[in-house]
Amino acid sequence: MQNLTIRTTVDFNEVFSTKHGAIYQSDAENCWYIDFAGKLARFDYRNILKLKKAVYQIDIEDLLLNSVKGPDLEILFICACDHCYVLSLIQIVALKELLQGTFVMLELNHIIQDRLCRLIG
Amino acid sequence: MKDIMRVKCLLSADVEALINQQIKKEAHSSAIYLSMASWCNRNGYDFSGDYFFKQAEEERVHQLKFFKYVLDMGGNAISPEITNVKAEYNSFREVFEEALDQEISVTQSIKNIAARCYKEQDFVTIEFLNWFFKEQREEEYKARRALELFDVIGEEGTGRWQIDKHVGQITYDSEA
Repeated sequence: MQNLTIRTTVDFNEVFSTKHGAIYQSDAENCWYIDFAGKLARFDYRNILKLKKAVYQIDIEDLLLNSVKGPDLEILFICACDHCYVLSLIQIVALKELLQGTFVMLELNHIIQDRLCRLIG
Repeated sequence: MKDIMRVKCLLSADVEALINQQIKKEAHSSAIYLSMASWCNRNGYDFSGDYFFKQAEEERVHQLKFFKYVLDMGGNAISPEITNVKAEYNSFREVFEEALDQEISVTQSIKNIAARCYKEQDFVTIEFLNWFFKEQREEEYKARRALELFDVIGEEGTGRWQIDKHVGQITYDSEA
């Protein structure tokens, strides 16, 4: 992970992190910040889903096995989103891992909210 | 931590994907019925042609119902691409056999969505799907009845002309 300092006064929760990056949630802004590939990018609900779809759609196995002579680069351009990623194959695997972990954590958070917070004591 | 995913959308990703698949299925079904209407009309079975025109419209209405539900619940409804629409049939009977197959496949597919919803305890979507189950009862009845006419009336002589005349009169009025 790069040396980006996140101000603690800002309402950020780390959702998931790996040694390649991290994803934080901002409750105040209803969005997520993705710290990956040297930048911190803000994604709202629609855009993070679009990013997930774009990353999951990449056929990593095919990229590994095909013998086409070309750079191992994928450009992830998300429609109506300010950010775009130009990633190598290794980075794609890392980003996919980061997103998968994040969505599992968000699901877990949903279960916790249901079981603990939404109950009337 | 806020549960933003749930705040934004009532549907789980899996249920949303299944409904989007269903939207495609209904659109495909509508296109097939239109194709059947064309075949019947071309071959002189005008009443059956009208029957399939109506079926095509109904399937389109179903598609939009699913489409709007996904949007209303905060999801992403995807307008589907429709390919593989059969244009030619070998016989008048074959058209109705395929129409019944089509309806059965739609019913099964909605059952599959409901099964997923029960697993997730998505009772909201189950309640929404109940309307479709009632509708499918009618659709399957009509398709099965039309096929029955081929056996009851018989295709010999003016049989097909009789069948064509009666197809438009099939109704299902069970209040159960």
